[in-house]
Amino acid sequence: MHDWRSLALGSLSVATGLIVWYLIGALNLVSTDLLAGPADVWAALVDILHNGYRDTTLAQNILATLGRCLAGFAAAAMLGVPLGLWMGLSRMADAAINFVIQFLRPLPPLSYLVLLILWFGTGDLSKIALLFMGAFPTITTAAMAGARQVSAQRIQAARSLGATPRQVLFFVVFPASLSTIFIGLRIALAGAFSSVVAAELMAASDGLGWMVFSASRFLRTDIILLGIILLGLFGMGLSRTLVVIDNRLIHWRGRE
Amino acid sequence: MRPWIATALTASTLAAGWMWLTLSGVVSDLFLPPPRELWDALLDLLQNGYKSRPLWEHIADSLIRVFTGFGLGAAIGTLLGLLMGYLPIVDALAAPFVEFLRPLPQLAYLVLLIIWLGIGETSKITLLFLAALPVSAVAARDGVRNVSQARVRVAQSLGASEWQIFRHVVFPSALAEIFTGARLAVGIVYGTLIASEIIAGTSGIGWMILDAGRFLRSDYVFVGILIIGFMGIALDRLLLAAEARWVHWAGRL
Repeated sequence: MHDWRSLALGSLSVATGLIVWYLIGALNLVSTDLLAGPADVWAALVDILHNGYRDTTLAQNILATLGRCLAGFAAAAMLGVPLGLWMGLSRMADAAINFVIQFLRPLPPLSYLVLLILWFGTGDLSKIALLFMGAFPTITTAAMAGARQVSAQRIQAARSLGATPRQVLFFVVFPASLSTIFIGLRIALAGAFSSVVAAELMAASDGLGWMVFSASRFLRTDIILLGIILLGLFGMGLSRTLVVIDNRLIHWRGRE
Repeated sequence: MRPWIATALTASTLAAGWMWLTLSGVVSDLFLPPPRELWDALLDLLQNGYKSRPLWEHIADSLIRVFTGFGLGAAIGTLLGLLMGYLPIVDALAAPFVEFLRPLPQLAYLVLLIIWLGIGETSKITLLFLAALPVSAVAARDGVRNVSQARVRVAQSLGASEWQIFRHVVFPSALAEIFTGARLAVGIVYGTLIASEIIAGTSGIGWMILDAGRFLRSDYVFVGILIIGFMGIALDRLLLAAEARWVHWAGRL
């Protein structure tokens, strides 16, 4: 199917969804207390842009959520990628560290959020630590898998041309594992974005997750829906950004 | 030095560090319970349960939620994904919603589900269903799309009907990716479950952890985390075993 046709059909289906949503409210099928209509959500957006929500501006909430998410994710990537590459190259490092990582990996981050709050308090530190611990095992495992699948021939070729171990790492192993590393980064970022909202529901005084949860106490479904739509759009934006960086950076994919 | 020595060295360093920190009183029992206390808490939970419910009941409650929500979400999501992969028009119509739902933090719509469906089982299972659906759909769609065209043509030229091609060529080829999607979905559902029990619950392992946290019983919290960790590993192993049984040809084509 042509691109423009699927784009048209997609827009058509979104438009139908919006119309159905509007009709549910307009025909009083469901009380507006339970489901605010599109117009209400738009009004809530305009209102929040002008007056903010309970002493916080919308920009402040968006920045708080994205900032926490990216801080935890970046810390995990900066530590996880080198560690994973090292584990992929050295059997000793693998044996010494991997079992700890593989124990952390399947743990749902929220299960240890209680502990992190106990240790670090309810501030930003416990949330960033939560995101770090959620993203770190995934990124490390991906980098390790990436380093392992680098063809031994290439490493040997570089060595026999006189490359130092450092050069082999930076010019052979790292580029060849980038593709796998990015898979890990994408999974980790999606997980971090989910966790940051969960953490904000439990203990926060700003952020989009906090806004949604706080609005739910007052049954403000217009603000809840606004928050959900914003979170969905930012989630899509974050994952698209990584895909674009991935494609730019690994321009040689499929052409090896 | 052999690799297992390195493993043993780290493990014993961690254990020694834990004992030193807790027994010397550098870190209060409140923050990190000593090994002995953890063991006692486990025995206590096994014998007396938590808050007048036996431990296995909390575990069973959590597992039932996971299986119902994941089962429904994966089944319907896979069906939708197969259709999306097979019929471009379904893909074009459904893709915007699936792509929007997939990166959306599950907890964001939990509050809406609670307002609509109450704090009982229905809202939790709906939440898990919605968490599993988009991942399964995308995996099944990509699985169908990645089926080798040469094989479909071979089947066509041998006179296979549309249904036969789907049943014997497309579906088996897509099954490996469907299983990968299912494992991803179980992970997401499992993480979401804890969240749903934390926000609105009176039973389940996730609820137990939060409730124990409120009373600063970090020994129960630790035991709960360990139980959740082992349950997660067991679930993943279960899916791997199912995959090995039903998609025994994966990676050997």
